[in-house]
This record gives sequence, C-alpha cells and structure tokens, in this order.
Amino acid sequence: MSDGALAGIRVIELGEMVSAPYCAKLFADYGADVVKVEPPKRGDRSRNWGPFPGDVADPEKSGLYFFLNTNKKGVTCNVEAEAGRAVLDRLLADADVLIENYLPPHLRALDLDYASIAAKHPHLVVISVTPFGQSGPYSEWNGHDLNAFHLSGASSRYCGRMGEPPLEQGTFAADFYGAATAATWGLAAVYGREAAGGGQLVDVSCAEAIAATFTGGQNIGGAAQDGRFDKRTGVGMSLGAPATIMPCKDGHVWVLALEAAQWDGLARAMGNPDWMSVDIFQNMLSRAENRDMIYPLIEEWTSQHTKMEIMDACQAEGCPVTAVFTVQEAAEHPHIKDRGGLVTLEHDALGSVRTLGAPFQLPLCPGGPITAAPLLGQHNEEVYGALGLDVAALQADGAI
Amino acid sequence: MSEQLPLSNLRIANFGWVWAGPVTGQTLGFLGADVVKIESRTRIDLTRTLPPFAEGEGGPDRSLSNHACWAGNGSITLNLKKPEAVELAKEFIAGCDAVVENFGPGVMHKMGLGYDELVKVKPDIVLFSMPATGQYGALKSVRTYGMSLTSLTGVDSITGYADGPPVPFENAFADPYNGILGAFAVLTALNYRDRTGKGQHIDHSQQEAVMQMAGPAFMDYELNGRVAGPLGNRHPLAVDAPHGVFPCTGDDRWISIAVTNDDEWSALVAAMDSPAWASEAAFADASARVANIEILHEKIGAWTATHDDRVLADSLQKAGVAAAPVLNVGDLLEDPHYRARETFVEVQHPLGFKETIYGAYVKTSRTEARITPGPWMGQDNERVFKDVLGMDAARFDALVADEVIF
Repeated sequence: MSDGALAGIRVIELGEMVSAPYCAKLFADYGADVVKVEPPKRGDRSRNWGPFPGDVADPEKSGLYFFLNTNKKGVTCNVEAEAGRAVLDRLLADADVLIENYLPPHLRALDLDYASIAAKHPHLVVISVTPFGQSGPYSEWNGHDLNAFHLSGASSRYCGRMGEPPLEQGTFAADFYGAATAATWGLAAVYGREAAGGGQLVDVSCAEAIAATFTGGQNIGGAAQDGRFDKRTGVGMSLGAPATIMPCKDGHVWVLALEAAQWDGLARAMGNPDWMSVDIFQNMLSRAENRDMIYPLIEEWTSQHTKMEIMDACQAEGCPVTAVFTVQEAAEHPHIKDRGGLVTLEHDALGSVRTLGAPFQLPLCPGGPITAAPLLGQHNEEVYGALGLDVAALQADGAI
Repeated sequence: MSEQLPLSNLRIANFGWVWAGPVTGQTLGFLGADVVKIESRTRIDLTRTLPPFAEGEGGPDRSLSNHACWAGNGSITLNLKKPEAVELAKEFIAGCDAVVENFGPGVMHKMGLGYDELVKVKPDIVLFSMPATGQYGALKSVRTYGMSLTSLTGVDSITGYADGPPVPFENAFADPYNGILGAFAVLTALNYRDRTGKGQHIDHSQQEAVMQMAGPAFMDYELNGRVAGPLGNRHPLAVDAPHGVFPCTGDDRWISIAVTNDDEWSALVAAMDSPAWASEAAFADASARVANIEILHEKIGAWTATHDDRVLADSLQKAGVAAAPVLNVGDLLEDPHYRARETFVEVQHPLGFKETIYGAYVKTSRTEARITPGPWMGQDNERVFKDVLGMDAARFDALVADEVIF
C-alpha cells in the first residue's frame, strides 16, 4: 500500500482516451490503488493517438497514454465476452470505485450499465464520465470531447471571432473539465459512503459540467430573467481595455490594465507616453470604446520588446501583464522546475521521459507520478494471480 | 434517496473570494458539508456588485451571477481588521475540518490566520490555499486575473484559429475548474487526516493545475521537440479529420462534427449521400484526411451550410456520426437535454425573489445534491455565532454595534 493521501482506496478503471483515464490518474497520483482494464490486443485507443517519438506509431510509445496513465497497474480483459465479464466481476468485488467512460448504449448492451453493476456490487461507487451523461436525450448519442465542449455554450460566449466558428482551446478541455469534476464528486461519494449508506452512481456529463459551472454561472441568471445574453467578441474583454492578447517581438503577451493604478503602471512601463495621460483614457470603459485607437499604440510598444521584458517591466509597476508562454516556456520555466513540476519516469518502451508533476501539493503525502504508464497487460500476472486466477487459463478462455 | 449527503459530517470555513475559492466551497456544500464564507462589508467582493441584478434592482445581495457562482456557501460577516473578529474566526475554525482560501501567498498570515496560527486552535486542521502560482517559487508574486492566468500554462498559446495568432479566451475558465478540483484536493487531505490524525497546508497552484490540460501538447514537445501553436477545433493530436465546427443556416448557427476513426468517416460519407469527392484518394484514410484537412473542411462546410443545426445533428447521430449543435447561452435554457437533466433550476432566494442558477450538474443516484442560492451577506450570522459558537444575544448585538460582526 502506498503512503499517499488516498492509500487504501481501490479503483478499477474501464476507460479509454482522455476523460476516465485522467479522472483515474488523479486518484492514482494521490495514492489510490488503480487497476486499468484494457481490451486485449488493441488496448486503450489513446495508445494509437500518439504523439510518438519520431512520429513512428507504436502502441507502447504513445505520449498521451504515457501522460494519462501514471501510477496505474494495467491488465487486459475482454469485457465483450461472458468470461471476461466474470473476471471483471472478480475485480469489482474487491474495489471501492469503478471509473468508466464508455457511451451508455454500449455498456447497456454488455450488461455493464449501473443498474446491472449495482445489483452485484452495491458498495461500489461508479463514476461515469461521458460527453453527455447517462440520462437525457443526448445520452444515446455518439460524441467526443469537441462535441461536448461546443454544447456547453462556452465557445459561443467566450472564444473566437464573430462570423467565424466558435473555438475550443487546442486541447481536450471538456474531457479534462469533466474528469476533474468526476474525480471530485466521486471521491466525495467514497469519502462519505457510510454517511450516505452505500455506493452510488456519479453521473458526469463533460458538456453539462462546463455549461453549468462556467458558462451558466456567469450568464444563466441574466439570460433567464432578462432574456438577453452576450456572445464572443474575439478581442478579449468588451467592457474594459486594455484586456487582450497582443503580438510582441518574440510571441504574444496578455495585456491587462483595467484599474487606474494598473493603467498608470502600464504607462510607466511604457515610458509615460503623452497620449496615455489624456483624460478620455483614464477609465477602462472609455478606453474600451476607443479600443481601435489605443490598441495599435500599445502594440507599437509591445512589438519592440520580448514577452519577458514586457511582463517584467509591467509586473514591476504593478500592472498584471503576463507573457503568453508556449507549452515549452511554461513547462521549462524555473518556477515550475523549482516546484517539482516536471518529473522524470523510466518507461520500458520510451526510456527516460519527463511528464508534468502533481496538480497540487500535499506536504505530508506529496502525490504526483511515481511509476510510468503500464505496458499492455503488464500486471496481468500480479493482479490476477493475487485473486487466485490462472492467467494461462484466462487466456485460453478468451477472457483476457 | 438517502437522507444523509456524503459530506454531511464536515464543516468548512471559506475565506475564498471572487470565483475559484467560492466554487471550492460550493462543491463541498452541494455534497453536504456546512460551508460558511467569511466576508465583510468593509470590502465587499467585486463579484457581489456585478450586474445583472435580481428584478433589476442593484445591491451586493442581488447579483445573479454571484448567486449562481457562490451557491452552496453560507455567509458570515467579520471585519478582520479588528482583533476581536480574528479571534471569532479562530473560534469558528476550531470547530471546522478545513479552511479554504484563494488570496495571494502570505495574506492569511498577515491577517493572523496563517497555518501556524490555525493549528494552535485546531491541530489537525486542513488549510487549502489556491493562489495563482503557488505559495513559493520565482513567480509566486506574479499578478494575474483568472482570465489571463492561462497565459502562464501554455493553454493560451494553443487557443486560436489554426496557424493564426492566439485568440483570447474571454473569461476565467480556470476559476471554476480550479474551484472544483480544489474540493478534490481538500478531500484527499481529509482522507489522509482520517487515517493518520494529521492535517496539512495544501499548496494548490492554479497555474500547475491548469497546465495539466496542456499535457498532450507537452508530450509532443518532450518526445519530438515540437512546440504547438493554435489548432482551431482540430483534433489536438491530429488523429483524424474532419474535426471541427461548421456553419449551418441562420445567424451564428454551427454544428460540431468529430470523426476519429474510419467507421465514423464512413457513416458521415453515407449521411452526406456519398458525394463523389468523398471517395477520392485525398480522403481515403485518416492520415490523408488530416493532410488535406483544409479542403476537407471546406467541402463539409459547404454541405452543412444549407442545413439546420439541430435537424442535421439528429440525422447525423442516427447515422452514428458524433455531431452536436453549437449552443449559445440562450440555447442552454431551452435545450431538451439540459431540461431533462435539470441542469438549470429556478430557486427562491431567502430575500424573497426568484432567480435561475445551476443545480446538481452531477447526478448522484443515492443522494440528492443540496442546492442553495448564493447567500446574502451575513445570512448565517445568527446561526453561526449564537447556535454554533454559543454566543449570547447581548454580546452578539454589541459586536454588531461595534462593527466587529460587519
């Protein structure tokens, strides 16, 4: 047993791609005992998604799989077959949590929907994290991260230019958001299982989590009461300026100077140009109304300096301008390195590879990746052996 | 449904302000914890003053967005500039399991409520701190807003139209994300406390927590030295295409279509009535489709542009294609899926007006989340000071008169 914060919590993951694997990673990285169950031969589909070293596809060398499956044990089990489902039942009998992200019709067809599982394992907390959830008309739909994100209202409201498509961030934003939500509500259900009187289904829709807590939180009260709502602008903030991303010598900076002291700070950082002291530019709303005039003037300055020169000069003057770090600059920043934000793991196929550290730090039981993602079926002997099952016989049965 | 929510045995003092910290309290509160925000009329939280207001009438207890984002929290008012108020806060914390805050590093310490002070009144207390960039390190004092925090994570650098400049994400996506994940962090530490008897001070750097979302792009950098730029709506790992948002009939109407394998491609081609172009070699397999994504997206966009988004999504779904309408804020209230799941609910605020907030956005089969709208300032003063701390009425009234409870 680990000495991590969640030591003693036993989790079975029946997940592929991003959402359920990241949810289970949060449990695993903080010390829970997580066994990931993959289909024999093909494994988790993210094994085929890369990125691969040198772009040479190899299911044991997927960077995405490596990132999402730290600290887990990996077994294979063919849940499409009766014999495989019997093995899964053995695993679930000893578990506290099942984390899964298959679409509801698929699991129903296999008798692996919540009602069927709960009938055999009432103590189990089942965390389902899917694009649309287990109920409602779209629960029958096919869907991926992209569909979920754009169903949340977030993109229409907050990202992209009018007349052009609404945008998602260039990552699996809905899957990550749903995974974090699922881990939180799921852990609460485990933590309070006695208080609640047993296991239960924790049904997370990635789309709904964002629609509610992000888009809804800011907009739904006004939309319901007044029948009015806003859309994306493509320029940052519409009611205050400067509040946008601007180009600079070596990339981009997030330029924010809304309060009076921040505007004065920006002016000092820019060497107090005369135009910035003009009366009309002394509040954020009138600056926003004159955005077309002032943005080019600020850009003239940013384009002559690097992102770090701009960030350092502005921050020193109390103005919250920040560099838009590339993924490389963010991860390699000394701040991240000094905080242990990068961890090197030894992987049998990839060798020595770095990944991101723990999302939050617990001084007494730190958390974060310790062991690399499993090879396909790497822990079959260990996990099934401990249950007294004969791996060779299971293979002969087509169970694993 | 069970009578008892899973976290019904927990009490939380929440010093969180603006958005992220209050959402941590909200999450624990929806799940049954007694969460009390500690705030003061000496410095009213900016988010309490944001329009639109209930029934159009302004005031710090009537902001609709504040009531949605702070739902699940209670509120007591303490003027922490006064030593008596700090003592009362500690008295309350002595009966709490965890303390939540999202100030900059050192602010709780300056108020006399740092971790070293809190353990004196509650040795196994869990203090959850969620500053922008953590409690220590070279960037610990960096000033950001939630909206721009993501610039420090790499996520902003990959947000925008493909091969164009970064496009700003126009609100603080990081705030509710960190708020919810923060509740996970609190529960990990409470799980450890229950096993070992030890509390601790959690350092939740919002930057590091959000940087995890850039993990897929980080791996391409780590393995291949490639640094990603904006991707539009394309698949983050270029696994297949089409993968994007396409125009439909009407003003600002769009549909998302995500093809991630050959089966989904075949289903889409069939749904389009198998146009001749779709059988060209340029679209024969995933790598060809990704290589020719611009022309592919143009062709699909020309086809979707004559269809209604909802009708098209329905028919594509019937064919097995992952497609969904792109909803705007107004659509959220009318959408049959969110209505069926009761994502948004009209509630009666204790001050007498009705308002719409989000409800149980996660469905739990045994317990029903407890949804209470964002509190008015000091809503729980009588309950906390008199019932929980056992203060008599005379002292309570004097502390109110002295603006200690304020």
